[in-house]
Formats: sequence, structure tokens, C-alpha cells
Amino acid sequence: MTSEKTTTSRAIVTIGILWVLLTAAGVLVSIYATPWLMPESASNTMHMGILTMIIFSVAAAPVAALVYAVVLYALAKWRYTGEGIPPDGPSLRANSPLTMVWIIGSTALTLFLLVWGLSLLASDNSGQGGANEMTVNVTGQQWLWSFQYPSTASTQNGTPVSVSNEDLYLPVNTPIKFNVTSKDVDHGFWIVQMGIKINAIPDTITTTEVTPNKLGDYDIRCTEICGLNHSYMTTKVHVLTEKAFSNWLAAQPKHF
Amino acid sequence: MTSTIEHSTVSAPALGGGIYRRLNFGTALIAGVVFAVIAWWIAHSLLDSDGRGFSDQVMVITAVGWVVGFELGIGAFTSIGKWFTGRDQTHADEMYLAGKDAGQARYWRFTTDHKVVGVQYIVVTMILLGAGGLLAMGIRTNLLSPGNHFVNQQIYNSFLSVHGMLMILALIVAVAGPWANFVVPIMVGARDMAFPRLNALSLWTLVAAIPLLLGSLAVGGNDMGWVTQAPISNQSGVGFDLFAMAIITFTVSTTVAGVNTICTVLTMRTKGMTLERLPIFVWASSIAAALGLYAFPFFLVVMSLNISDRMNGTSFFIASEGGTGWLQENLFWLMGHPEVYVILLPAVGALLEITTVFARKPLFSYRTSIAGMAGLAGLSVLVWAHHMFTTGWAPALGGPFMVTTEMISIPTGIIFLVLLGTLWRGNIWMRLPMYWVFGFISNFIVGGITGIYLSDIPVDNQMHGTMFVVAHFHYVFVGSVLFGAIGALCFWYPKVTGRFLDERMGKISFWLVFIGTNVTFLAMFVSGLRGMPRRYSSYSSIFEHTNAVSTIGAYVIMAGMLVLLGAVISSWNKGEPSGPNPWGSKTLEWLVPTPVPLENFEVLPVITEDPYTYGEARTNS
Repeated sequence: MTSEKTTTSRAIVTIGILWVLLTAAGVLVSIYATPWLMPESASNTMHMGILTMIIFSVAAAPVAALVYAVVLYALAKWRYTGEGIPPDGPSLRANSPLTMVWIIGSTALTLFLLVWGLSLLASDNSGQGGANEMTVNVTGQQWLWSFQYPSTASTQNGTPVSVSNEDLYLPVNTPIKFNVTSKDVDHGFWIVQMGIKINAIPDTITTTEVTPNKLGDYDIRCTEICGLNHSYMTTKVHVLTEKAFSNWLAAQPKHF
Repeated sequence: MTSTIEHSTVSAPALGGGIYRRLNFGTALIAGVVFAVIAWWIAHSLLDSDGRGFSDQVMVITAVGWVVGFELGIGAFTSIGKWFTGRDQTHADEMYLAGKDAGQARYWRFTTDHKVVGVQYIVVTMILLGAGGLLAMGIRTNLLSPGNHFVNQQIYNSFLSVHGMLMILALIVAVAGPWANFVVPIMVGARDMAFPRLNALSLWTLVAAIPLLLGSLAVGGNDMGWVTQAPISNQSGVGFDLFAMAIITFTVSTTVAGVNTICTVLTMRTKGMTLERLPIFVWASSIAAALGLYAFPFFLVVMSLNISDRMNGTSFFIASEGGTGWLQENLFWLMGHPEVYVILLPAVGALLEITTVFARKPLFSYRTSIAGMAGLAGLSVLVWAHHMFTTGWAPALGGPFMVTTEMISIPTGIIFLVLLGTLWRGNIWMRLPMYWVFGFISNFIVGGITGIYLSDIPVDNQMHGTMFVVAHFHYVFVGSVLFGAIGALCFWYPKVTGRFLDERMGKISFWLVFIGTNVTFLAMFVSGLRGMPRRYSSYSSIFEHTNAVSTIGAYVIMAGMLVLLGAVISSWNKGEPSGPNPWGSKTLEWLVPTPVPLENFEVLPVITEDPYTYGEARTNS
């Protein structure tokens, strides 16, 4: 009886140490590898997305580490090396306290992830809808994107500016609302470095919002299969200063 | 009342007992083709060739002709035909149908013996996996380097659709097909399934669906991916009609099979086999079958409505005419998410069964594990819209669906608890089936955790539609379900053949598939994190290295699967003899002789305890 207890406690101690080490490794990888593997961030939405990836990875590290610790220990220590069918192991049919702790633990972890995710979801659009919000109409068609900018009294005399099969230009630090639609089949409108994505659907308008917070050139890629040239339905976003954006807009030819 | 069959009184059925005794797979193929041609000819003659959807109408009617002809040709309706004409099946007829003394021939015809059906399902699963795997190799070869055009974009997109659907069908039947048929009736102490003829019907209906799915490639393919999203599915050529008819046929097959499994478990248990003494694999198969009965009707409906839009001029999914593509997506995912658990649960059940036997331990927390599986099944019907977070449909429902989706990690955690608890302090016997259990645990933790990221809407807005999603569900389907299916095959192979699956080749195959899976899909995670959308035939050079690594990994998986195939074939007749119970298991299927006789039991057993009495001093077994 005592020897059985000693083996069990030795197993628990060894697994515990293994667990701590693996968790530490997992946490380090989560913190350093995640941002390195993901695209740079050009909006707060993307920033929070990357942060969520890191936090979820850190939260998952002890779970995965525990499973791997037990499995590695079992493979090293509980492996039967004799010939033929091994003798029976101990008859452990249940362990109610352990089961309760396990279920409560996983529920608590899930609740944490939910609270984090739901509050992020609620705060996601808090900067949007203000007076300075600019609306851009996005139209997908096989296999290009076109963009329509609002009229601005000073430059366009009330006529919206349309740009087809060209890049998207956005002013920095200005909340943007995209009204997205399609001329033929579903497309997926994704600005890779801004963490927003919405389907472009024929005869339907879907919306998404983002505030670019960094100057630079970023990528738009289609994320819904849309036929032959789906993989070539890509374009660029150029985030300009507000002044440079106004100048660019003023220089655009009018389309009727 | 005993129902022991007196075997000696039944002589081998002679040929000449009516035409139906000459029906087999060959006559089914011939009848299928003949009926298809007749149906095509009738459709061409009678329908208005200028009408909207004419080619779709012809294709659908031809497909119906094929399925009906095939079923008639295999003899699926001969018994009911006799019944309608007032003649009952004689005992000799029943014995003929069960394949008594028919040798190899019974595997090529409409045979009702559940063990024959199980073996037929093994072969069908391998064909599906082989065809789907070849298409996967085509896809990966095309993605070997940026701008590589191994196949053109139309063919590439068709490969995506058909690879996806072939593999989904393969995995739906991979464990439930062979083992819920071969093993479950013996496990519950029954002489056969509750409805043996329906059992054979479900198998041959599945077989009838496969040429339709492959045929869709031959008639021009379809470039909408396996989710058949409208309106791209309406733009697709007639390949889509065959694709959809294959699925409609398949749903009939799974529904029939599911009803049969549930009825068998509910009504055919032997004396003393209470619900609490059922082996966990029986629970897993039954829960999965029940979930399938909920899920697959949506599959039938979504494909039927889609075909109807194309051939009848309806507008269920056409926004400009009053429908909406969101309806298609809702219906599809109402099927699509429960289906994941229809696929996963039997694999989990088989692995739990293997774990108790090879750790020589009782299943840890039997009731909790049933609750966990039931919880998975229950929650899985409430999460479908997490596939639609970025479609713009009902943004207000995002939060609730995020809650239900993340709650799934609680019952999933229970599965891990049961696995680890069963391994705890066991005497772990590292034979071939156990390798796949450890592979499953390692892969499933990755597949499970990466699912949690995707359930979070702010993260999903970034990750949806990327290779990250593809890598996630391949960790679940390949890394977990396929590992479970192969583990089950290695475990029950001696019961089917009386011989061990070659241990050395099996282990080589394990390491190739395990390493290949992790190389392929870890690299694919990186492609996705860096921003590579899924279903791209060509990509920017920034994804070059990770894609090359994924392609090499995929070849390694293929090599491993070929080694496994070699082992399955070579061990079938030449493997090391195993005897009836080589693993020292306590479930009923191991306590009957090998090969298992027709009707399984000489005398039906009486059960006094569950099969997990490892380490318990009891005399009765």
C-alpha cells in the first residue's frame, strides 16, 4: 500500500515539474512567436486580434502542457516491457473530486475566454459611427474590386468618386465604414493587416468598420471561392495622411 | 425462447433459385448504366431543350436513373418485390441473403450478414480515402511553388470540391461503417443488426453515390468548394448536379444506417446487457448515429433546393429573385457542424475502447464520458453559425454563437480526462493500435485548441477563410479522426481476418503519417497566420516556404497510407495468426470465435457486469 502511494506521488511530482516546464515553454512561444508569425498591425482591430491570439495561447499552454506531461510520463514510466498481454492495472473507475476539479477548471477557463471575447466584441465598434466617419462603397466582381468614395463638396461637387480595378486609398486615423456588395457571386473582402473581413454578396449590402492607424501599403485578398481567378482577386490598400488623401481624391476623374 | 439457428439443416443455396440469386456488383453496374442511358434518353426526348435548366434536368434525371438501376441490379428491392407479389422469403432465401456458405462471392453482392457489410465498408472507405487522397496530392502538388500550374484553375477548383466531399463521406463512414456494423451487434450480444436488409441497402446506396461524385469531375467539374455556397454553385456547370445527387444519395444511405444502429442498440441487446454495461464504443456509435439523423436531412434539403434553383427556376438561394444565399449557408452548416461530431464520436469511442484494453484499466469515469459525448452532440447542434461570422448574416447573433461554440471545450476536456485517467498507472501495452491513440491525443489537443481561436469573433474576422482554418480542421479530421479510424482498423483487424496487421509495417506507417500530418498542417497554420486565404491555386511568394513544406509533408502522409494499405492487403491472408482474443479484451466481440460464425453466437450470452473489470477480482467473465 505504501509503495503504491509513493509511486503515485512520485508520478504526480514528476508530471507537475514537467507540466510547469512545458507550460513555461508554451507561454514563451505564445508571447514571442505569435506576433512574429502574424502580419503587421495597421489598425487597433488587428492589434486586439493579435493580442487575443497571444492571450488565448497563454491560456491554452497549461492545458496542452498537462496533456503532454501525462502522456510523456505514461510513455516513459507506465509502458509494459514484458512479453504477452500485460497484467491488469489498478481498478480506478472514477475519481469524483478530480472530475469535478477538471470540469470546474475547464469551465472557468472557458468563461475567461468568453468574457474577454465578448467584451472585445462589444468594444470593437466603439470608435465608429462618429461625425468624421467616412463611408467607402466596395463592390466585388469576378475577379476585381472597385471602390466608391463619398462626394466632398469642395472637390467633387456632389459626385461620388468611383475607382475600378485599382487600389484602395484610405486616410489614416479616420473611422471608415465599408458598404460591401457584389455584382455576381460571393466574395470575401479582407484587409489582411487591419483584421477585418466581410462577405461581398450580390443584391445585398454588408458592412464592416475599421480605423487605419498606420501609414503604409497593405493587402486586400478575396476569401470566398469565386471561380477561376479567385487567387488573383487581390489588391492593395494605401493608407495616406489626411492631407495626402484629400489631394489624391481631388485628382481623381469623376465617373457618372 | 431461444432463437438458435440449426445450421445443419440448411443446405448451400443452389443457383437457379430465381434470377435474384444471380445478382451481384457486376449486374448492378450494368443495370445502373442501362437505366442511366434510358433516363437520359427519356429526358432528352420529353423535355424542352430550350427551357431554362434543361441540361441540369437531364443530368439529374440521368443520375436518378443510375441510382435506381444500380439498386435494382444489386437486388436491393427483390425481397420487398417478392413481398408485394404475395410471396414470403423462405428460410433458404434468408440464408442466401445472409451469404451462408457463399465464400468470397458474398462480398460482391447484396449480403445482409453484418460482418460482410462491415468488411464491404472497410473496402469502400479505403476507396474513398484513396480517391480523396489522390486529389489532395493534386492540390498540394499545385501548391508546391507560387504560380505552379500542375492543373488549370478550373480543374484545381473541382479538385477542391471533390476532395473535400470525398473525404467528408469517407470519414463519416470510416469508423461507423466498418465497426458499427461489424462490431456493435456482437458487442450488444445480437445475432445481426435490427434490419439486416436495410444494412445492406445502406452500403450499396453509398456505393451508388461514389460514381456520381467522381463523375462530376468528368462532366466539367464544379468550382465552388465542398460547401457549395450559392450563388457560385448556380454558376457551376452540370458537374454540380452530379455532385448534389451524390450527396442526396449519400444522405439516404447514412439515414438508413443510423436508424439501423440505433434500433439495434435499443432493441437487440442480449439479456443483462443494460445500458450501463454497454461498451463505450456502442454509446459513441449510437450518439453519433442519432446526431446524424438530425444533421443529414439538412444536407438533403440544401442540395435539393440548390438543384431546384438550377433546374426548376425556383429562387431559394437567389437574392435577385427574392431568396438569399444566407439560407443556403444556414442549411448547410446546420448539417455541417453536427456532422463534425458524427465523424468524431465513433473515432473517440473506438480509441477509448482501445485505451482500456491496452492500458489494462477500466474506462475512467464511464458515466462522465457518456455525458461528455452527449454534451458534444447536444452543443454541436447549437453552434452552426460560427461558420458564418464573417458573412454579414445576423451580427447580433455573433455573441450567442460564440458562447455555445466555446462551451464545446468543456465536454471536449472530459474526453481528454477520460483518456488520461484510463492511461493513469496502467500497464501500457504498446502494440500497434496504441500508437494511434497517442497520435490522436497529440493531434487532437492541437486541433481542439486552434478551434478556440476561431470561435472568438475578433480573431475569426482575421482567420476565417484562411489556411489557418484548413489546418485546424485537418488536425481534427486527419490528425484525430483518421488516426482513430486506423487505430480501430489495427485493433479489430484480427477479429475480421484472424490475423494481426503487420506490426512492423503498421509502425512504419504510423510514424510516416504522424510526422507527415504534423509537418503538413503546422506549416499550413503558419501560411494561414501570415495571411494566405484558402482555396488559392496560386499565391504570393511570401507563402512559398511554408507551402513547400506542407506539400512535402503531404507526400509523407501519402507514403504512410500506402504502407498501411500494403500491410492491410498482405496481412489479410499471410499475417501472423491471432486467435480469437489476441488483446485479452473483455467485450463480447472478442469472446466469440474467429472467424465469427453466421449469427455470431451459438447461445446468446447473459451479461452480469460491464466489460471493464480490469484489476477486479471476479470469477465471472
